[in-house]
Amino acid sequence: MTRLLNGISWVGLAVVGLAVSACSKTETKPEATTDQKPATQAKADDATRFKGQTLNLLTWEGYADPKFTKGFEEKYGVTVKGTYFGSSDELVAKLKSSPGVYDVISPSSDVAYSLVQGGLIEPIDTSKISSFNDLAKEIRDMDDAKKGDKLYGIPFTWGPDYLIYDANVVKEEPKSWKVFYDPQYKGKVSLWDDISNIYLVGQIMGLDKDKPEALYNMTEEQLAEAKKKLVELKPQVRKYWATAGELNDLFKNKEVVLAVGWPLTVGTLNKEGMNLKGVIPEEGATGWIDRLMIPSSSKNKELATLYLDYVTQPKAQALVMDATGGYCVANSKASEHLAEDYKKSPCVTEAANYFKRLNFWRYAKDRKRYNEVWNEIKSAQ
Amino acid sequence: MQAAPVAPALTKSPPSPRRRALLFLVLPTSLWLLFFLVLPYCGLLVQSFLGTNEFGDVVFSPTLDPWKSFFKKSLYTGTLFYTFKIATIVTLASVAFSVPLAYFIAFKLTRGKQLVYTLVVVPLWVSYIVRAYAWKIILGREGILNTFLQWTGITHAPVEAFLYSQWAIVIGLVHIYTPFVLMPVYTAFENIPRPLIEASKDLGAGRLTTFFRVVLPLALPGVIAGATFAFVLTLGDFLAPLLLGGTDTMMISNIVQNLFGTSNDRPLGSVVGMVMLAIVLLVLEATARAEKNFASLESGRGRFGGTA
Repeated sequence: MTRLLNGISWVGLAVVGLAVSACSKTETKPEATTDQKPATQAKADDATRFKGQTLNLLTWEGYADPKFTKGFEEKYGVTVKGTYFGSSDELVAKLKSSPGVYDVISPSSDVAYSLVQGGLIEPIDTSKISSFNDLAKEIRDMDDAKKGDKLYGIPFTWGPDYLIYDANVVKEEPKSWKVFYDPQYKGKVSLWDDISNIYLVGQIMGLDKDKPEALYNMTEEQLAEAKKKLVELKPQVRKYWATAGELNDLFKNKEVVLAVGWPLTVGTLNKEGMNLKGVIPEEGATGWIDRLMIPSSSKNKELATLYLDYVTQPKAQALVMDATGGYCVANSKASEHLAEDYKKSPCVTEAANYFKRLNFWRYAKDRKRYNEVWNEIKSAQ
Repeated sequence: MQAAPVAPALTKSPPSPRRRALLFLVLPTSLWLLFFLVLPYCGLLVQSFLGTNEFGDVVFSPTLDPWKSFFKKSLYTGTLFYTFKIATIVTLASVAFSVPLAYFIAFKLTRGKQLVYTLVVVPLWVSYIVRAYAWKIILGREGILNTFLQWTGITHAPVEAFLYSQWAIVIGLVHIYTPFVLMPVYTAFENIPRPLIEASKDLGAGRLTTFFRVVLPLALPGVIAGATFAFVLTLGDFLAPLLLGGTDTMMISNIVQNLFGTSNDRPLGSVVGMVMLAIVLLVLEATARAEKNFASLESGRGRFGGTA
């Protein structure tokens, strides 16, 4: 064994070195550089109590932007520090491996349920959230953030995973997701590299007509059928996109003309002169909600509650929409404070319609199996 | 495993100054290897026999299920074979590019030798991701290559198979690993005593005969070392399929990433990790033996040793 190790140690070291550098490359999520101004404008009486403390957020990228956290920092004389995660599972891993570090987290609806049921989250006293009643009740009152009669998360942002098309190429607004199978768009479709495609095909199969939760509890036969449909779709697909930035590039470089995506992409690329449109086809679409929650391990629960109160108020929510480049925000009164072009966003103008037609992600109990099916689809030659 | 190099130094007491110096040199590396290589791998091995609860937490309930699913499901074994296929193609292509180029630099160039060698190695200073994106710009539907081909009239419609396909992965990886192959091959060529080549020519061998009977056999250890680099590094690559691959080009490391990331199935991910470790160790051991067998110049034994 020693001889073998001697022989390979140099090669081994090089391999490990490379692996380490590759890993560190993918993990460089710079911590948000929040302005550390010694804010002194403490107005309310109890505001001075928290002076000098630090509130640690563990959020999706952009959810700790100084554009909206600054107001909170100044009000209470505290520092808001953001750490970003790149996937729901990274959030879970970070939260479990370093208890006590994070005070506010922003899980999406796919993992919210398991965090709450797993006992990692502190219930929220809704009487301390002044804007609670202005938050869209369709996403506020969903079951996945509840345990017993207690609420564990309040909605922060939301959005559809809808159909995006390049209106310069696709002249007629697609009525159905089936447009993805249209031979004239062969090799010009892009899907998200995510298990949500299985939910989507479930919708095309009409599984959620009566029960929205059916998409997240598909039987083995239904999964097999979904797999068949997605494998059939493969020749039409140019690339499964992994990040919103990649989808932008695919549209910009004319690689694709149809995709599943977020309003963010439409907003970003139309500013650069493209003519993209988004639509919820007749089968419906899925949607996501990012909630704010307070981990039960947090040491600053009081301050965290104050932050939740602050960041769900109309003005702060308008700043959130601006800072994220157009994510839909939960507070319906935020629109009063929005810039003109954000007022035209479908998040504002079509919110009621979206809430009716979107099937918001729920906890898929057999998430592991869904992932395996998605991998089988990707590896099918 | 790594305890071996430490042990002799620790057991011999009292240490002579020389031994103490040796210990001082060896200890940091050994500790580093122990804590960042051996222990994590032991952890993976243990984890590969455990189960998970419904929230994806690893729980202490010994089971063989992860190992069974790995060997039963074609998803995992099939992807492993596909990865081997890509790694073989990439290795062969890198060697095919490196050997002539290294030969040219070592034997044909007199002036500017260092410059050309540096030019070949320079891409190593550029980040992997930057180079992958450069290939996207070149190979895309409206990329440089397609635009050029249509301009010259060779093709009339953009060739889609250039990007987001198996070939894009192969091109990207060959570009990235060719310098790794070239360096040892070039060094091997440089170390061949020139009189041997002259002798071969004096004895009437032509250029090709000299190359295949004298130069190449003497350089084989270098070629094997380079090929090992390309093969092993490709086996573990997950960025090329992610950035340049299409819809059916998943490699085994993408599965590992997915098992540890999205699906939160750490035991099964550990199984894949252990299998990969075993494969890589086997490959390295086999090539290390091969290198020794062909190292005719130094040892004077081996296949070509008698004539040297």
